[in-house]
Amino acid sequence: MVLLLRRRKVHHIPSELSRCDGEEKTEENSGCRSTKRLVYFIFRVRSSSIITMVGFSSSSARTTSREMHRYPCHSESRLDRPENVNDRVPSGFWSDVPWGGVPVFRLAELVPPRILVEGRTTGLLGGSSLQPGKTSKLAALAKARSKAKAEKAAGLTSSDAPQSTTAVSLLDKLSKKKPSTTPAETPAPTPATVTPIPPAAGTSPEPPPGEIMPEPIVVQTIDIPQIPAATESDITPKASPSGFAKSMFGRRLDEMLLDLDDKIADAQLIYFSVAPSQKAAAKAKQGFEGPSPDDVVIAAQSQSKGLNKTQKTEKSTAATTTSIQKGIDGLKIGEPSEKPTPPKIARKKIDVVAEYEKSKSKRKENANLVVIGHVDAGKSTLMGRLLYDSGVVDERTIQKYKQEAEKIGKSSFALAWVLDQTGEERTRGVTIDIAVNAFETEKGRFTILDAPGHRDFIPNMIAGAAQADFAVLVIDSSPGEFEAGFNIRGQTKEHALLVRSMGVQRIIVAVNKLDLLHWDQDRFDEIRQQMTQFLTTAGFQSKNMSFIPCSGLTGDNIVRKPKEGLVPWYSGPTLIEELETAKPVAKAIEKALRMTITDVYRGGVTNPVTISGRIEVGNVQVGDTIIAVPGDERATVKGIEVDNEAAEWAVAGNNVQLHLAGIEMDHLKIGDVVCHTDSPLVPLREFEAKILAFESLTPMMIDIHRGRLNASGRITKLVATLDKGNGTITKKKPRHIGPGSLAMINILVTGAPLPLEKGSKIVLRADGLTVAAGVVE
Amino acid sequence: MRLIKQQLERDGSGTVTLYPEEPEDMWHAFNLIRVGDTLRASAVRRIVSESSTGSTSSSRVHMSLTITVDKVDFDSQAGQLHINGRIAEENKYVKIGAHHTLDLELNRNFTIGKAEWDSISLGVVKEACDPAEKAEIGAVVLHEGLANVCLITEHMTVLRQRIDMSIPRKRTGSISAFEKAMDKFYETIYQSILRHLPIANLKVILLASPGFLAESLQKYIFAEAVKADNKTILSAKPKFVTVHCSTGHVHALNEVLKSPAVIARLADTKYAKETRAMEAFFKMMQTDEDRAWYGPKEVERAIEKGAVATLLVSNSLFRSNNMSERRRYVQMVEDVKASGAGEVMILSSIHESGIRLDGLGGVAAILMFPLQDLDESDEESEAEGSADNPGDGGLQ
Repeated sequence: MVLLLRRRKVHHIPSELSRCDGEEKTEENSGCRSTKRLVYFIFRVRSSSIITMVGFSSSSARTTSREMHRYPCHSESRLDRPENVNDRVPSGFWSDVPWGGVPVFRLAELVPPRILVEGRTTGLLGGSSLQPGKTSKLAALAKARSKAKAEKAAGLTSSDAPQSTTAVSLLDKLSKKKPSTTPAETPAPTPATVTPIPPAAGTSPEPPPGEIMPEPIVVQTIDIPQIPAATESDITPKASPSGFAKSMFGRRLDEMLLDLDDKIADAQLIYFSVAPSQKAAAKAKQGFEGPSPDDVVIAAQSQSKGLNKTQKTEKSTAATTTSIQKGIDGLKIGEPSEKPTPPKIARKKIDVVAEYEKSKSKRKENANLVVIGHVDAGKSTLMGRLLYDSGVVDERTIQKYKQEAEKIGKSSFALAWVLDQTGEERTRGVTIDIAVNAFETEKGRFTILDAPGHRDFIPNMIAGAAQADFAVLVIDSSPGEFEAGFNIRGQTKEHALLVRSMGVQRIIVAVNKLDLLHWDQDRFDEIRQQMTQFLTTAGFQSKNMSFIPCSGLTGDNIVRKPKEGLVPWYSGPTLIEELETAKPVAKAIEKALRMTITDVYRGGVTNPVTISGRIEVGNVQVGDTIIAVPGDERATVKGIEVDNEAAEWAVAGNNVQLHLAGIEMDHLKIGDVVCHTDSPLVPLREFEAKILAFESLTPMMIDIHRGRLNASGRITKLVATLDKGNGTITKKKPRHIGPGSLAMINILVTGAPLPLEKGSKIVLRADGLTVAAGVVE
Repeated sequence: MRLIKQQLERDGSGTVTLYPEEPEDMWHAFNLIRVGDTLRASAVRRIVSESSTGSTSSSRVHMSLTITVDKVDFDSQAGQLHINGRIAEENKYVKIGAHHTLDLELNRNFTIGKAEWDSISLGVVKEACDPAEKAEIGAVVLHEGLANVCLITEHMTVLRQRIDMSIPRKRTGSISAFEKAMDKFYETIYQSILRHLPIANLKVILLASPGFLAESLQKYIFAEAVKADNKTILSAKPKFVTVHCSTGHVHALNEVLKSPAVIARLADTKYAKETRAMEAFFKMMQTDEDRAWYGPKEVERAIEKGAVATLLVSNSLFRSNNMSERRRYVQMVEDVKASGAGEVMILSSIHESGIRLDGLGGVAAILMFPLQDLDESDEESEAEGSADNPGDGGLQ
């Protein structure tokens, strides 16, 4: 865009002006006739319309063109220029003009001004159509630039002219430049200069009231007669800089103007030609080295839109437009193949393993314990009691629960309400989903996963057991109840088998409700004997089993010892003391990250997407890019919370909340596995598994469970039954697999592939029964 | 489906003209039409004609076309049947050998010509044209976050919609997100029921879930129906039955259909019988496994010995494009029928029970008396396996 400026004493706007391009808009201010000096801008905005802007030297009178508002200017925002300019250049003016490729409709032709010097013929002002032989000023400028570039390449010019050149140096340069002659190829030795665009053109046609109009100082201070008429280039009249000039020269210009205001500078100092001399062009050229402000903005925009990650803002002064062009080309090539990248969040490159070792001594180890047992064994009440007695839940809350529970006639459920929080759970008195709570003792931190006992909710119990280090098996010792839980379809057995098959080795058996039996030792011993036998067959080692008599309702032998003499035959540890002896299992923290998502939710205003889960293997730190398999959307870890405290990193075994950026909640599903992008899991559609059958298996439909994951699948083939002792094949292609046998089977997933890999522990269920548990081969 | 005309020769070849009336008839047609058969049906074909000046014009012409079937494609969701083949009878627009895909339409006759109409095919025709009242049921199986809205007709189970939503779990101190999500979940199911199930025509609408979800859903549905004054739902109130099942996956329908509440209502329907038969088979497998056999070879041997009490065959086997294979299964069915003692059930492969049977190879048999080693010859190549008594395989 080239501006044509003219400062002249006129009495009327020439009538030719309106003719010069047919449909132009000329807005005349009624005050123009009385004004001494006028400045014209002619913008060729579209080929069909030329807008003439008439500005008056008087600070109060100005005219704006309607078209000016259509192309509002905000170049200042891209130029890192100080604020004093911001109010002068309308914003958005250059928004659709990338530096490398000015759109055709924004191209303007530079038209030499009609110099209305006395004695000269009054020609037409306006576009090149009237002077067909001439190239446009833009072309001239471009030519000059390319020449300057060539010069520069030849080392003729110095490359040091940062944009922040001081006013003085610029003035020097300008003054040097002044006497130089117009280059030969410049068609019109244009005495053009720039004036400030009437302010606020981008926002409103009239400047907002109260806003102080930046003075077109130039015009005021310089009088025409002072202009020597030696050469045409020298008669360049002065005017205040346009938005264009401002965007090109930035602060220097303003400083210049200030200088002018102080009348320090000679009027001619600020003359600069739009079609400058070669030298001047070379100087001006230096402003064009490196990316243009537009390019910077475009690059930034494209990055923020996630369109581009390869292009870096070219900072080097030596970089030319071609290199920018290259960068843009690279960007275009990269675009289709590159996935949108989530926003970059600084990754501190913490050596997590080392950090973990360092902090080991300082921190209490966190252990997850899953509470299992038959329905109504008192799991939730026992845990509610534990939390209450260890001070996690305050007295008031418990009182409130007690009152509410009494209201609906379930006063004995008050403690369970600490964990059973949904309306359904409370009214029905049944735990439906895992409740997670943490408490701390002097010796350790514990996270309780209170599992539902009802057989319908075993999928939820599996989700809890998958995160557990050890298990607390709660047994209802009242007559008939233990037996009910312990029979073939009871959940005491099923749960114990499930936790064992999911890798839990340590089990604490809490023999509950003994207060109802007056702490009957015989009953305790009977249960202990039966359970020991069963747990041994289930694969627990006897050193990893312990039995504790207790009562959840009264709280005896849970946190506090029972009253003296109440249980004379028991002198062992309380439940909580026993918990403290259980150590979390060592985890492979240096391996590739794996974490099954147990929950996806909105973590708050600042964290719209939060996932939680327990890291199974590996480590994660803030800034990591992750992927939730089987989805393929990437996300960046924005923040980590370990046990509800913000952390920089987390390792296997931690219960974490990951705040994510760059992903929608819809792309994350409960049961997905979080991996690092460099070591992702490959989801499986069909796989072979080595399983231990609990029920008879034939090729049939099954539910596949892995933590929170619950999918449907089909056993396609019974590959072989294996010997339990040494794992050798006893029979190939068995017709069915009986309960208790070890076998290899093929499983086909019915729906989408599942995030499983070799070694993943799975549980197979059918018709409400756990039919098998095993490992993916 | 109505039988319009049947013309069978002594050698078993002949043509049958049928008039399909409802979407399910497309399923029957799918089971009848084989690769190699001829099919005559009305079609629309674009005819391009070239004038003497070389300009071309195209027009759509309605005509009856006879094709030799190359490929049969059934879309159970839409109830549409697309049959791809080559023109067998020339007319003034189309030459022999040109390809055409016929889309069978409801209420338009089509004629199937076969070189051999076997008993199964004729059985399908008979069954398809059985005017007995059809019992259709709607079923929603759900668990937290997953619901499958299905329509079960006599011969088909069509999954109308699968709803899979992420429901935030309950967290300490914050259950509102969970409850909100559950509400939305119920709402989605309710809308899906309204949209996808022809409630007025259904005999029963089953709501099945583990736990209390189904009951909550039922409550929600009627609360909403009262709010919106939805007469269809309110008048259908007695049709809604809640059933317990263990999961929300589609295969839980097996469990649903065998539950006493459902059996009481639907005892005489074909799919209830099929489900019961499959259930009996699996039960037999667990209790007396020598009386329950599956797989073509094993069952064939059992038939030879005249031991089969109930033969379960999936109709997917009769859709085989391999003629000899098809004959083999037809032979099996006919043998059992001929023996007089055995019962044959042909299960629809798109019912859940049929899918289960397909998992076993499509054919299974409950025997009258135990037989061992029916699979022995399979093991011969495997040195160590053959020595074992196969019956013991599962009991170790």
